[in-house]
Amino acid sequence: MQSAFEELKESRKTLLSRFSSGNTWGSFQDDHTEIFDQYFRKTLQESRIGQELFKKAHPFALVAVGGYGRKELCVHSDVDIVVLFGPKVPLLAKEFVDEIFFPLWDLGLDLGYAVRSIKDCLSLCKDDYQVLSSMLDERFICGDSPVYLSLIDKLLRSFTTRKAVSFARWLEDQNRIRTDIFGDSSYLLEPNLKEGIGGLRDYHHILWLSKSLFGLRTPRDLEYTGKLSHNEFQDMKDQLAFIWLVRNHLHELSGRRNDRLNLEYQEDIAHRLGFKNQRNVLAVELFMGRLHAFMGSIKSLHHSFVNAHLRNGNRAKKTPPAEEVPKHLQLHHGEISFHSATAILANPFLLMGIFAASARNECPLSLEAKRLVREFLYLVDEGFRESDEAIRGFLDIINGKDTFETLNQMFETGFLDAFIPEFARIKDRVEFDTYHIFPVGRHLLETMRYLMGSGARKEILLLDIAYEISHPERLYLAGMLHDIGKTGKDHARKGVNIARKILKRFNYDKEGIEDILFLVRHHLLLAETATRRDLNDEKVIIQCARVIGDVERLKMLYLLTYADSSATSPRVWNEWTANLVQELFFKVLHVLEKGELASADASQKTKTKKSALFRYMADMDQHDLEHFFEVMSPRYILNTSPKRMADHLSMLQSVGQEWEDPESKAFLIEAREDIAQSCWEITFLAKDRPGLFSDMAGAMALNNINVLSADIYTWHDGTALDVFRVTGPLDAIHPQETWDRLKRDLKNAFSDRSSLALRLKKKAAPSILSSMRAPKRAPNVIVDNDSSDFFTLIEVFSDDRLGLLYIITHALSTLGLDIRIAKIATKGDQIADVFYVRDLEGQKLEDKSQIEEIREALLHQLSQPSAFTTK
Amino acid sequence: MKKIEAIIKPFKLDDVKDGLSALGIKGLTVTEVKGFGRQRGHREVYRGAEYQVDFVSKIKIEVIMDEGMVAEAVESIQEKARTGEIGDGKIFILPVEEAIRIRTGETGKEAI
Repeated sequence: MQSAFEELKESRKTLLSRFSSGNTWGSFQDDHTEIFDQYFRKTLQESRIGQELFKKAHPFALVAVGGYGRKELCVHSDVDIVVLFGPKVPLLAKEFVDEIFFPLWDLGLDLGYAVRSIKDCLSLCKDDYQVLSSMLDERFICGDSPVYLSLIDKLLRSFTTRKAVSFARWLEDQNRIRTDIFGDSSYLLEPNLKEGIGGLRDYHHILWLSKSLFGLRTPRDLEYTGKLSHNEFQDMKDQLAFIWLVRNHLHELSGRRNDRLNLEYQEDIAHRLGFKNQRNVLAVELFMGRLHAFMGSIKSLHHSFVNAHLRNGNRAKKTPPAEEVPKHLQLHHGEISFHSATAILANPFLLMGIFAASARNECPLSLEAKRLVREFLYLVDEGFRESDEAIRGFLDIINGKDTFETLNQMFETGFLDAFIPEFARIKDRVEFDTYHIFPVGRHLLETMRYLMGSGARKEILLLDIAYEISHPERLYLAGMLHDIGKTGKDHARKGVNIARKILKRFNYDKEGIEDILFLVRHHLLLAETATRRDLNDEKVIIQCARVIGDVERLKMLYLLTYADSSATSPRVWNEWTANLVQELFFKVLHVLEKGELASADASQKTKTKKSALFRYMADMDQHDLEHFFEVMSPRYILNTSPKRMADHLSMLQSVGQEWEDPESKAFLIEAREDIAQSCWEITFLAKDRPGLFSDMAGAMALNNINVLSADIYTWHDGTALDVFRVTGPLDAIHPQETWDRLKRDLKNAFSDRSSLALRLKKKAAPSILSSMRAPKRAPNVIVDNDSSDFFTLIEVFSDDRLGLLYIITHALSTLGLDIRIAKIATKGDQIADVFYVRDLEGQKLEDKSQIEEIREALLHQLSQPSAFTTK
Repeated sequence: MKKIEAIIKPFKLDDVKDGLSALGIKGLTVTEVKGFGRQRGHREVYRGAEYQVDFVSKIKIEVIMDEGMVAEAVESIQEKARTGEIGDGKIFILPVEEAIRIRTGETGKEAI
């Protein structure tokens, strides 16, 4: 005959291979437990020492405790057992223990045993609730039953009811410790199946409480004694079976007792359990969705069970005045409940009403109330969803004090799904990456938590902004709905349509809907722009500002970005990202506050100009045209007519190949007469470099060309485009000669063949007329660092005279400044010029002494008597 | 073997990564870092409160490679990460004494 040990080895091997091949999944723990029970029964029969102990009147019993006691042995679970003696443990016990337990160790099993007398047991239980909890799971295996019964009798007498409350408190502490160490498994990316909140331990707590509080013996008693409803018990059983199955697979795959469902095993297990990839959803995401939902239910059941049966003094909150609790609801022991179930049937809106009252009074629903909500969810039908009363109640909750907790309860009871069916489709979706730590539904709730709590955060800026929002409700609804389209790719766009349907059902006002849909559509804009685009590029900021359109929306979007990112994972919203998003926020804010570049009008103008330009340039390659429009500066587009833009593009094309070289010295000049204004317009195109503008101004001064106004643009690809309006040349009969001379001078200057500065100096030799041309009014220079995040603005006011523009621009470029944009204007005999400058490293000027130096240098140049003799 | 450490602007990461992949470099480490150099942080005053950011958000990449690759890799990083303005970052080249692949125990060139 086979020895007990051989038999254990063999049947365990058979069981495990049956499991691997997909059999006995449902009954694995029972079968596994039975194999060990068999082993102990058989060894005891075969044991010589065992018989001797009985003969010497030391009767004993083998008692399974812990998981083994509960018949929950998974693939690599440890096996805990107590060898229980009556009054005293005899010396011989040690030999017996060696005989029956050593072989198990040799098998590599995780075995824990204790040899105790009944008295030992009781005193240990008294001192250490860990031992007590494990003893509460006791199960008789074999041996002397009177010894066992005597222990049970004493255990029941000394611990159930009498110590129940202090034991329950201890369990509560354990819960807190579990939360700290293992987190909430109902939404963690790598949940701990056993110890995490929502894990098997929650169920164990229910069992232990039912044993110590009510003296229940088996799990089934929970239903028989009405502690759980039939449905609750059945659901719990199914959910636990699923978790155990996952745990068995996890143990098998990791080859050890491992309860943390690491990412690396998730796909494998999903596959083993028969989950299949579906359109848009991976098998593993379906699997994790199911697991999280089940663990969420277990968590909520445990929570409700504790609340229902362990009400204690310190929970009693202030009792709010009765009028705050609507009819048919009652506030008792700090929990809200229905007067009766029939009240709900008579008025289904109580289902929303109870949550609204919960939010208003900051009190949770009682276990019974939650049960009733679940029971009557079928009353939440189309009529309910569209009714004013329900919608008003929902909006009250959204605006309420305790919104997050209330939403959480609505989520856990399934009420939220019933009221917003679109929510049910996405709530359990899990994204299989390390970036999103919550399933979508939980993520939406977490987003709400951060939105509501932005007041309590230490980030003062967010707090300030939150106070300024005129319609916080819109922001909250956007927070609830921003990921509602998460059924696949491009979820922000999809979400807009779904959100619109929901908001229409709510009969929400049109302006509000527009704001909310905007937020849903663009909820990723700030985060993406901040981390993936160049924030020192004004065009990026302007485009962003145009999408956003107004300051109120920008503020809401900023808060939503913060809440959404924080709720995704603490790794997503850290100081690194926060700094970038904050920088973007301020830059966009400044552009929006100044208005001209990002107003709705500007965006509209840009659009119409683009299509007009495309019509003019119909011959040009569409792709090239798109490229050019992309590199044009926003100011250029706003200030230039499509016809002129087309002219400029034609000019650009005529430069040809040479233009490809960024160092190219090629340039183009075109002069046309504006008869109506009796002046000339000179267009100048070149590759930008510091000092270019000054050269141009110099060459004009040299040829006695007086500049009336000028617009200087720098495009994105380094093209400098200057448009000057000048008075006619001195020789009005042969104007072309002047332009040709200008061209020649510039060409020489660019190729360093002649020095503009030198020639100008010669030209400016003092004349007897000079003293008569002393400036009449004192010139003024203003340096403005506030108007733009990208440039320092230098404004110059002075009497006009020939060559003045050269003097100013030359001084600026000698001071190491790069002129990116300029607006030159002449009014009568006064000039008012604005130069947008940066230093050669592309930064604004922030050094006070440098700014002062520039001011003084400019003023000095301006107060010199006129240098040029011809005017 | 050499290690190249480069501090770059965040939005340039993809370009730099693509450039290095094109050279056949198979792995790199990316870290979000904060610091300052000649580029200053920025300061904002909003509703009377001051928000000062002293450290600018940057990306640090680290790549180990055979000495022969270094020149090409540096050139690629420099080209891809450049905007011509302040804050484009820096590249450091350091000697590496040994590399070991933990899984297989391979060393030296084999391990990178």
